Amino acid sequence: MAEPIIRLRNLSKSFAGVHAVQSVDLEVAPGERRAVLGPNGAGKTTLFNLIAGAELPSGGSVELFGRDVTYLPAWRRTRLGLARTFQTSRVLAGLSVEDNLYLAALGAVGGHLRLVRNGRDRELRERARRTAERVALADRLGAPARDLSHGEQRQLEVGLAVAAEPRLMLLDEPAAGLSRAERQLLTQLLLSFERSLTLVIIEHDMDVALTVAERVTIMHYGKIVVEGTPAEIRADQRVHDIYLGRTNAA
Amino acid sequence: MIGSYLLARRAVLVAAAIAVALLPVLFSTYVTSAIALPTLWVGLCAASLTFLASYGGMVSLAQTGLFGVAGLLTATLSVEAGLDPWLAALIGVLAATGVGLLFGALASSSTGTYFLMITLALAEISYYLFSAVPAFGLHEGINGVFPPRVLGDPVLHPTTIYYFILALCAAVYLFLRYLVRTPFGIALQGVRDDPLRMTALGYNVRMHRTIAFAIGAAIAGVAGVLSAWTNTRISADSISLNVTISVLEAAVIGGLFRLEGAWVGAFALTILSIYGPAFSDRYATGIGAIFLAIVLLSPGGLVGLAAAVDGRLRGLLASRAVPDAMGPSPSPPAAGG
Repeated sequence: MAEPIIRLRNLSKSFAGVHAVQSVDLEVAPGERRAVLGPNGAGKTTLFNLIAGAELPSGGSVELFGRDVTYLPAWRRTRLGLARTFQTSRVLAGLSVEDNLYLAALGAVGGHLRLVRNGRDRELRERARRTAERVALADRLGAPARDLSHGEQRQLEVGLAVAAEPRLMLLDEPAAGLSRAERQLLTQLLLSFERSLTLVIIEHDMDVALTVAERVTIMHYGKIVVEGTPAEIRADQRVHDIYLGRTNAA
Repeated sequence: MIGSYLLARRAVLVAAAIAVALLPVLFSTYVTSAIALPTLWVGLCAASLTFLASYGGMVSLAQTGLFGVAGLLTATLSVEAGLDPWLAALIGVLAATGVGLLFGALASSSTGTYFLMITLALAEISYYLFSAVPAFGLHEGINGVFPPRVLGDPVLHPTTIYYFILALCAAVYLFLRYLVRTPFGIALQGVRDDPLRMTALGYNVRMHRTIAFAIGAAIAGVAGVLSAWTNTRISADSISLNVTISVLEAAVIGGLFRLEGAWVGAFALTILSIYGPAFSDRYATGIGAIFLAIVLLSPGGLVGLAAAVDGRLRGLLASRAVPDAMGPSPSPPAAGG
């Protein structure tokens, strides 16, 4: 196996005595599509926050792209090629769709303090418009993000990760609150990503998650319970127990 | 109907532009030196706050402190040390920018009320520091601070310095309008909207805030120099809590969401503080009441109010021009911005 894109070793995070993530070991290979599933409160989002650097772990280590980033600030991890989305949309409400996507593209390449526009910006604007097409927002380019519908904000949320052209993308429930048609659109988009991108997705919608993912990690009470292919996961008794609430079986 | 309204609207704007452009010719020396000059420099200081608030989401109360760093340093360097006024002013503004970097670094990790409190504390520290250091004239201040000879006497012959300051204000206004469309400026608005999102997008949010704060500090510093020059004096009391509040009032009364509002608010405040006492010795209460009314009724300030009234009038007149055929009248654009 090639050097993993993500390697978590004995990773833990506690909040005031609550063990949100406990001794997690996880490896994700380059180009892999991985789903992280589990009931609410299983620690999935906390795990994302630890990988992305939004929170610092209580113990253990995080390696991204073969490099120890356990204590690297979140914005520096983005510059290494990581992009993430949030469970509830965090779009830049006062800026247009195009400016949102432009900032996502600019964020990954640097030059944030420039006081002159140059050829680089033309490229990044071009990339922003291409991204808008991919997430079906091409006709909303000039609209302030606060005027978008819930579904459109979800599309922009994913667009912000796409525009950064990352090597690793963490998607936190991208299908949350989407209509059936919108979910299909999202699935198509996720399937269209190139293999140079590694994708980790938290998703409650099994249709989306199990269509996209090749490997599935099930979390429960902050721990990884089982890992396998979608078929193995569907057949696993422990997974059924967790989702049916027979928690002590885990 | 709508045609004549638009014509009248244009006439008012042109008249205002002419009044500003020819102010020293059209009005008395008193109006120029006692109303126009304070309007310009108070407006400049308020504009530094409006910039930080509307594009950076940082309502800073430290602007007067930074204003004081530049003003008092310029005064003491030119009066006590005999430095050329231009050089003294340059050093003053650079010092304010440097202190702004420091203040910004201290305050940039907090937001909202905590940011407000930290910047208030920094303003108070500046005030008490300058009140206690003899080199800065204590409460008596430094007198006889004159602008460079080429700008003339700010009290008796204010025409030259009026145009100089007007050009400076216009330059700052245009610079800020330009700045907010640069990569730095767009990212600053992103930081205003959602710092956590911007961190996730790869931005060093604290650094961004700190640099924006230093830009605001430079502008406040220029205002401080201009205040010392036009008043020919400055003291620690020029940056007291009262002045801090006045600058905030000017920015809010004019409209915290638009840069031009800073000067509109400064003009309103200058007029009120000059003519208010003639009506009542409780005029300060009147300013407070106006401030309250604006905050409650028109968060976009006077400029936002004017834009709302303009939009509503246009909507009303346009719907009359096409009687009934078009159904309901078009809704006016939202106030503020």
